[in-house]
Amino acid sequence: MVKTAPWLRITLRVVVIGYLVLLVAWPVGLVARHAFAGGFGFFVHALTEPNVQHALQLTLIATFGSVVINTVFGVTISLIIVRNEFPGKRLLSALLDIPLSVSPVVVGLALLLVYNPRDSWFGSGLAKAGIQIIFSTPGIILATVFVALPLVIREVVPTLQEIGDEQEWAARSLGASAPQTFWRITLPSIKWAVVYGVVLTLARSLGEFGAVKIVSGNIVGATQTTTLVVEERYQNFDQPTAFALAFVLAAAAVTCIVVVAILRPQNTEA
Amino acid sequence: MSIEITNVGKKFGDFVALEDINLTIPTGQLTALLGPSGGGKTTLLRVIAGLETPDTGSVVIEGADATRLPVQKRNVGFVFQHYAAFKHLTVARNIAFGLEIRKRPVAEINAKVGELLELVHLTQFAHRLPSQLSGGQRQRLALARALAIEPTVLLLDEPFGALDAKVRKELRDWLRRLHDEMHVTTVFVTHDQEEALEVSDSIVVISQGRIEQIGTPDDLYDKPASPFVQSFLGPVTRLGSRTIRPHDIHIFATPTPDSYSGYISRTTRVGFEVRLEVVLQASLPDDEPVQVIVTRAEANALGVSAGDSVWLRAV
Repeated sequence: MVKTAPWLRITLRVVVIGYLVLLVAWPVGLVARHAFAGGFGFFVHALTEPNVQHALQLTLIATFGSVVINTVFGVTISLIIVRNEFPGKRLLSALLDIPLSVSPVVVGLALLLVYNPRDSWFGSGLAKAGIQIIFSTPGIILATVFVALPLVIREVVPTLQEIGDEQEWAARSLGASAPQTFWRITLPSIKWAVVYGVVLTLARSLGEFGAVKIVSGNIVGATQTTTLVVEERYQNFDQPTAFALAFVLAAAAVTCIVVVAILRPQNTEA
Repeated sequence: MSIEITNVGKKFGDFVALEDINLTIPTGQLTALLGPSGGGKTTLLRVIAGLETPDTGSVVIEGADATRLPVQKRNVGFVFQHYAAFKHLTVARNIAFGLEIRKRPVAEINAKVGELLELVHLTQFAHRLPSQLSGGQRQRLALARALAIEPTVLLLDEPFGALDAKVRKELRDWLRRLHDEMHVTTVFVTHDQEEALEVSDSIVVISQGRIEQIGTPDDLYDKPASPFVQSFLGPVTRLGSRTIRPHDIHIFATPTPDSYSGYISRTTRVGFEVRLEVVLQASLPDDEPVQVIVTRAEANALGVSAGDSVWLRAV
């Protein structure tokens, strides 16, 4: 290993720690302090308010939908990208990064153009069939799925490339069908990549704000998700509730990541 | 019988991997597909296995047309060059895989796995993961896994290619003995002529997508069908107008009738043999020196060293 001078080593550590404290630890820590500023009783009271309860439920539904859909499609798309050659593969791969690079607000507006029941032929068609997307739960799920789309794929693709397809061919030569090979060989091999992708999707979906704000219409007690409540309460000077909910959102995401970090084997070869 | 390959051709884009291959591999034999890298031998093995579909021609295994049969229905045991061990399964579960897929009773699976673990000397490693095994052990695991399904044919792609020289030698002796016990029709791909000559009953030499020659190791070595086969199967040198193997040259320290005279330009000792380079008197300035290989005992008896005059005669 290359030796670094002690003074440089210490300086680097101070810079890194200072950076993380100023940017992450301190602000998030303050959120926690404010969440419990009125005592634990108030914290619980804030969370049990009907509109807040509804928002938490809606966030759970949207997150659950986003995780399930993105996991199934993410793994499928990853397999298609890695295991097949086809024209337009690079284009598809680039398209998959759009949700990460485009602002969620733009995503929301784009979805609105396609699915709104008034001047979109597709949206109005769906509306006639009795399916309402915009200003209702499906729209919220759709927006959440969109913004979290690449997270599973970006975890799974490198792992699939790394393990190669020899194990899969070996399984086939031993008599396994394509589905058997997937469940017994491919999935166990990419298990941790999928878990990581799910956790990132979960964390991202819990916190989605911009796209959801536009497609949901932000109707209190109906289409308002947790992040939207946080914003609304903060602006209406109900800061204790805003901080209590902010703390719940942050704690849920951090817990997921910590749990996976503990569970994940040190030797990630398996 | 066993494996009949008729008019098989395969292209990858513009690259012709196989061109009009006709080959019959007899039941119960150990056959080597030998040739230089990129010559098509691995492609042919993968066509037999069903890992590649030929563009033309047919593959018949034990009398049944297998050309369009997917790999999982061919009942072939395939051993990959890099083992392709299932990394998340123990050694025992790796071997059991094919039997579990076939939904055999648990007792039968356990008995068969135990038997195979013993056969490949991995009994005490049954509960290890492949990452905890050495290269040679992984290769034996891959072999046991392929044998577990009692395959009609056993196909091995460069089975010892990734191993070091000593383990390679051990494993190929072991493969030969194993084959003599089991008599399963076995085809293996190699680019190592020594491996092919030592282990196999018959050798198919493949180069540039075509079969150069088919025969027993002795046939190929003694009666090569082409200069390519001759040079691929072992070292060759030129003596006068003849192409000859360096150990098929007699060397004398005194003038001898019907011989070529020259002097030794260089000697190299490699283990038990001594390699001599002889520049002939009759040679032109840019001719290569003649290569002669003798044993160390012969070299000592001859008592010659670099610079000495010698006389050469073909055996």
